[in-house]
Amino acid sequence: MPNIERREFLKLIGAGSVGVGAGFMLRESAKHPTEYLIPHVVAPEDFSSGIATWYNSVCSMCPAGCGISVRTREGLAKKIEGNPLHPVNQGRLCALGQAGLQVLYNPDRLTEPLRQTAERGSTSFEKITWDEGLDQVGERLDLLRAAGRGNRVALLSQGVRGHLAQLFESFMQQMGSERLLHYDFNHPHTLYAANQRFFGEDRLPYYDLQNTRLLLSFGADYLATWISPVHHSLGFGESRQGRPDIRGKFIQIEPRMSISGAAADEWIAARPGTEGFLALGLAHHIVAEGNYQGADRADWVTALADYSPSQVAEQTGLPVTTIVRLADMFVDIDPSLAIGGGAAANHSNGVDTLVAVNVLNYLVGNIGREGGLVFNPEPSGPVSRRRQASYLSMLELAEAARQGEIDVLILNSTNPVFTLPAAAEFRQALAEIPLIVSLSSFLDETTALADLILPSHTYLESWGDDFPEPGVGFSVGAVSQPVVSPLYNTRATGDIILALAQRIGASNAMPWNSMEEFLKDGWRQIYERGDAQTLAQGFDAFWISVLRAGVWGETTRRNTEFTLERSVIAGIGVQTPEFSGSEEEYPFILHPYLSPNFHDGRGANLPWMQELPDPMTSVVYGSWVEINPVTAEQLGFTEGDLVEIQSPHGTVRAPVFIFPAIMPDVIAMPIGQGHHEYGRYAKDRGVNPIEILSPQIEPVTGSLASSATRVKLVATGRRVKLVKTSGMSRDLGRDIVQTTGPTGVEVSSARPNSIPITEVTS
Amino acid sequence: MNVSIVPALKVLRPAAMLVVVVLVGLVLGYWANATFVPGTSPEQPIAFSHRIHAGENEIPCQYCHTQARRSPSAGVPSVSKCVGCHNEVATERPQIRLLLDYWANQQPIPWIKVHDLPDFVHFTHKRHVLAEIACQTCHGPVETMDRIQLTSRAIDGSTQAGHPWKMGLCLNCHRENEVENGTDCLTCHK
Repeated sequence: MPNIERREFLKLIGAGSVGVGAGFMLRESAKHPTEYLIPHVVAPEDFSSGIATWYNSVCSMCPAGCGISVRTREGLAKKIEGNPLHPVNQGRLCALGQAGLQVLYNPDRLTEPLRQTAERGSTSFEKITWDEGLDQVGERLDLLRAAGRGNRVALLSQGVRGHLAQLFESFMQQMGSERLLHYDFNHPHTLYAANQRFFGEDRLPYYDLQNTRLLLSFGADYLATWISPVHHSLGFGESRQGRPDIRGKFIQIEPRMSISGAAADEWIAARPGTEGFLALGLAHHIVAEGNYQGADRADWVTALADYSPSQVAEQTGLPVTTIVRLADMFVDIDPSLAIGGGAAANHSNGVDTLVAVNVLNYLVGNIGREGGLVFNPEPSGPVSRRRQASYLSMLELAEAARQGEIDVLILNSTNPVFTLPAAAEFRQALAEIPLIVSLSSFLDETTALADLILPSHTYLESWGDDFPEPGVGFSVGAVSQPVVSPLYNTRATGDIILALAQRIGASNAMPWNSMEEFLKDGWRQIYERGDAQTLAQGFDAFWISVLRAGVWGETTRRNTEFTLERSVIAGIGVQTPEFSGSEEEYPFILHPYLSPNFHDGRGANLPWMQELPDPMTSVVYGSWVEINPVTAEQLGFTEGDLVEIQSPHGTVRAPVFIFPAIMPDVIAMPIGQGHHEYGRYAKDRGVNPIEILSPQIEPVTGSLASSATRVKLVATGRRVKLVKTSGMSRDLGRDIVQTTGPTGVEVSSARPNSIPITEVTS
Repeated sequence: MNVSIVPALKVLRPAAMLVVVVLVGLVLGYWANATFVPGTSPEQPIAFSHRIHAGENEIPCQYCHTQARRSPSAGVPSVSKCVGCHNEVATERPQIRLLLDYWANQQPIPWIKVHDLPDFVHFTHKRHVLAEIACQTCHGPVETMDRIQLTSRAIDGSTQAGHPWKMGLCLNCHRENEVENGTDCLTCHK
């Protein structure tokens, strides 16, 4: 061993220690991190760890009323699927329905009762207890009720059906108030009114897409947003591929190609608002050709005199040959079915248009039979369609507020500040109401203006039921049961209403302690109306079987006879659609469409839906305005140019998206984005086209003619990059997409660089 | 010209020695950690002894691990299960006192997990228990352990204390017993 100096020795000792330490830590860091096995204190009875339990319930993400099966493990919801036993969706579920988990687990949920401490909209809240909150509202309500001024209380809910709707009714009756409104932006007011006029009943019929061989859709995006998209998608699939040797034909008539338009065999763009003329033009041709031989034929000849194909061609901008071809096809292919909705129903002539669509079904005998439209029986439980508020009813509510006639407004999961045009001045009207209480689960634009927030459970935590409308041709009811214990200090909407009922001294009329009790009571009545077999099993067994299956009702459709009132025929006719704004100043018609991701905006706080590219444009996040390539070229716009969309009632800014399947004088914008509140995922993303809609009314129903706004486009000189998943919308001769001609036999040799737009222009 | 590396080495020698010492230290530290604090038999919040319960008193495994035959995970007994006996049995021992404290506060006992599989392995107790594979086949002689020790099995079938399970263990057994699709990747990795 050589001599080592003291200093050298110390150095080596130090180095050795560092080495040992480093080695020790190296091994330590390679170890598995400590995990714990946390047992239950008491073993739960309703689940075993590691084993999934499925609960059947009802989806509340849109008004379709699909049945869901929720997979839970260790008492937490893990996955939502469709309930295979539910006749509406038969085991299928759309993306929005699957994203329901993110409603439950959303980090922006309101977790406890809150009171606004500063001015409204400041969103500075203090925590309060449930008793404090309920007492504050209860005392106010009790005073008003005692003074016989119950009508100064308004309850504004999102569209709800079933026993919760009935509970609202009883509560408001006890309050002595008529001001109970259900408000949904896309409630099909015009469809109800058209069916009332033509069929004499205010229910929606069942549209049998599954068994039809030709579907003529006037503007209804039935695969994505219209009424019951999951059920329609099932029908679409069955019609196309479910029958040997039969392939259903689908024709879509709309100014901007929707998902249904893209899936159709033929897409036809008539001038916006003239869909009703087109339907009557077809009807005229059917009658004139002698293809209708009913006893009332002479009446029809008179009623349809002004709608000859050549006259209609002028109105719609479609060639006469197309009109005649469609009419002949509608007669020749049997059974056929015509439906109407979407933008076609949201014009100033919406009801007339939808009546005209019913005329087509009537003339070829599609009513009350398989492959056509089948009438629904009265639902077996409560539905409250007469409470659905039109645009005018909302204006009346706003006016009443302005006049100081409303002291308390109770909001339940509806967001009119977002889903009403700025022209309605609803937000300003709210300022006149002394007390606004919100029962919403999220801080949406309207809830932000509330003085008091009493947050309700999400649908996955609460009891409820639903009677889908439209039904599927037979009577169906479904019970919604809590699939998890409440995550936070929230309460079920029904329980809050019952707690308020107690505080206004209405316990005698509403003696239930909880929504669950009330619901069971209601279903006992349904049970008692049941057949002998149902009654034989006893209520408890019945109730458990309903909870297990998640759905209860009949299973077969009945074909029904239908005779048309003669007086209806004379009233057939379509008015020219009215648009707000002059054509010279505002050259484009704004076509706002419901986003399949966000519905009317309620899905915008779900990150899964934000991440999901729009199916037609592939754009993710944000908003955009769809412009025909020819128009864009004329205006000198390219994709990503930020433009101002100006209507007579407001301005929004959005980047241009060049979309070949839209009429040159129409521009389209998706609804759903543009929130100013509503949580971190929704806030400050995109713009809300509802904001700039003109207050144009459909006069029969008083609903908003949301497709009747004219706009102009103003360049801002700024550009943004659109976030989208597809590179280029064109094939450029690369043979990526093989195209077939309309006959369906030959592969076309010419590969156009874009969809030919000449056929679209008028 | 005479070139030698010796002067250079002379200059570098102290540095080289430092490096050698650090490396030796590194190995030593690593070995010490692996030997003296292997972490394969961690101290549990309560010194529960499988030797007493499963060994001396011959309580069947599934009396406590009731989920094993029904569920992918064997499950740990709820606190109430322990208290079910220990309300009466050995209530004065300090470790049982600890247990009764947890029960009195209605708190779960945070047991530390010893046997674990990576998340990409799909294993279910149910199938193996129903196929009557003894628990000890994978978990080692639990009935002899006071404190649970991570245990695996060598290819020759001998017990290897302190070793985590490797894929070979699964495959060997599946091969020996001619399990249907037993060596298919997707049987476990799905």
